[in-house]
Amino acid sequence: MVTKVISADHAVAWAVRLARAEVVPAFPITPQTLIMELISEFINDGEMDAELIPAESEHSVMSVAVGASAGGVRTFTASASQGLALMHEMLYAAPQNRLPVVMVNVNRSLGAAAGIWLEHNDSMPERESGWLQCYVEDNQESLDMVLQAYRIAEDIQVMLPTMVCLDGFVLSHTVERVEIPGQEDVDAFLPKFKPMNVLDTESPKVFNPIVPPDYVVEMRYQLDWAMDSAREVIEKVDKEFGARFGRSYGGLFERYRMEDAEYALITLGTATTTARAAVDELRAQGKKAGLIKLRFMRPFPEKELVEATEGLRALGVFDRSIAMNRYGPVFTEVRGALASTDLPLTDHIGGLGGRDLTLEDMRAIYSIIGRSAESRPERCVFWHSLRGEQR
Amino acid sequence: MYEIRFHGRGGQGAVMAAQTLAEAAVLQGFHAQAFPYFGAERRGAPVKAFTRIDEKRISLKSQIYKPDMLVILDGGLPDIEPIADGLRPEGKAVVNTTLRPEEYDLGISVDCVTVDATTIAYEKLKAPIVNTAILGAIAKADDIVSLDHVLQAIKDKFGEKLGERAGVLNAEAAKTAYDTCIEGRCKGERPLVQKATWLPPWEEIPPGTALPVANMGEVVVGPGSSWQNLTGTWRIQSPMYKKDKCVRCLRCWWSCPEGTIKRQEDDYMRWDYRYCKGCGVCANICPASAIEMKKGAREW
Repeated sequence: MVTKVISADHAVAWAVRLARAEVVPAFPITPQTLIMELISEFINDGEMDAELIPAESEHSVMSVAVGASAGGVRTFTASASQGLALMHEMLYAAPQNRLPVVMVNVNRSLGAAAGIWLEHNDSMPERESGWLQCYVEDNQESLDMVLQAYRIAEDIQVMLPTMVCLDGFVLSHTVERVEIPGQEDVDAFLPKFKPMNVLDTESPKVFNPIVPPDYVVEMRYQLDWAMDSAREVIEKVDKEFGARFGRSYGGLFERYRMEDAEYALITLGTATTTARAAVDELRAQGKKAGLIKLRFMRPFPEKELVEATEGLRALGVFDRSIAMNRYGPVFTEVRGALASTDLPLTDHIGGLGGRDLTLEDMRAIYSIIGRSAESRPERCVFWHSLRGEQR
Repeated sequence: MYEIRFHGRGGQGAVMAAQTLAEAAVLQGFHAQAFPYFGAERRGAPVKAFTRIDEKRISLKSQIYKPDMLVILDGGLPDIEPIADGLRPEGKAVVNTTLRPEEYDLGISVDCVTVDATTIAYEKLKAPIVNTAILGAIAKADDIVSLDHVLQAIKDKFGEKLGERAGVLNAEAAKTAYDTCIEGRCKGERPLVQKATWLPPWEEIPPGTALPVANMGEVVVGPGSSWQNLTGTWRIQSPMYKKDKCVRCLRCWWSCPEGTIKRQEDDYMRWDYRYCKGCGVCANICPASAIEMKKGAREW
């Protein structure tokens, strides 16, 4: 094990090297490019035995990834924003074919209102695609989650592709202290990929044929069921990772100061870190504030969230994207999960297009949630750091 | 509501027939809908089409399981598919066959009109596209739509798509069918064909859309499973090879969509009629007129 001070993108590249990924199709896009740059250096320097395949577009990148995974090799790719959007069609080829590709999406806003900065409106629409989807908070978790993602994705109960989402710039281009695990430990944690179906002329199979209506309902149900069974695999893998490496993340979500909490916020990604600071302040003032760091959007921990929010008097949800004319996607999911409760729920939209999310914003968010525990809030969705009055 | 189910083969025009019948019904003042159901779009493969006719707006968008009328564009289909399934006992059948109704065994005895639509189509249209001839027989079988409206709908629809002359010829095919078809009652002596199916619960479907070579119940799936699908039974016209005219250009060989043309050592061809579905692509592409399509399922 060595300690380095590196960006999340470089932490991901280290994880891919340690995971011994064999095929890495790539197309550059900020803020993902640092990942592929370092991987290509590893390969060039003979420190990693993999094929890095520069494709002509992200659509082709995902096609290559699907083909490589069907060929039975561990496959990695990364993208962001418009790149992920261009992959959209091919994303759907991986889940139903049960190809456990691991991809890192470095969250960046999807234009128009073009920009290179952080927003979750690129990855959120893809939560319908059949990929597992998790969000990480820091650089160490970025590395650790890529390793965990392969174990989860390649588990025989799951066999689904997994998207690890990390916040553009706030993580991708920020250096932090990162422990790089030793290769032997990683090898022991992550055995060689055993594919479910392999392209093999000795044992021919029909792959991905046209499927008539007679079978599609059952196949979709099978996929839905596989994703649901991933919940226990995620918990199991996180515990095992913790036992081996001394770091675990709570599986589907992490509870922070939730034991006796009266009101709480649900966050994803780096918003969690600033929310921790706000909670600590409130606790110091004797206020019973808590925090849930949601790690997986798919599978979505519905049952677990109902249990974790029991006893709360108010709950807020932080969303770094907005489903136009409705709510943030996380809020929509949480409200669906808690439909049978009468817990007051508020949605907090913030940090869009890379707008900095400050401790002051977090204080304002917690203050609204705290008030909504006492009396019904005047509205459901709050836009933070919006100039002008919200109508 | 009056529901009609068409059974035909890809290329016979079942879908156009269903749509044209809907147009005729609308000309007559009814509400109507028509839609197809087909799998892979292969010439010769069994296809279904549906027409619904009603006096009021139609409030169903599903397929038809208990038709009032069954229209069979290839009289041989009941040998391989349970065509008559669900046909109402008081319903009617319209069949393209050279047999008389009392000679034709549909598997259920109902009022029936038979018509030699293939011969009419060859005479009027020079092709085995029987959809318009069958429409004339439909007008005879039931007065839900009048012959005049059927002929008008054919002229409109086929005229618009293929030119005025084609519209007139197709209407003539329908009129000839109306005049020459035979009314009666078909036989219901044979049981409906039982097709082997593989419809497992979700747990038993191999995950990952990958099928190995395997027997699933009585159905073979996976690579090579198409051997069991004798597409030669789809044939209503057959390619006759005139070896003396063949220039050995190989175009037929690589154009056959089913791979049924076998290239010989000397580059002359041989047809595997177990799988030749009679699509006519080979005859069409041959630059030397060495392949001629002949009516019927024949072998040489």
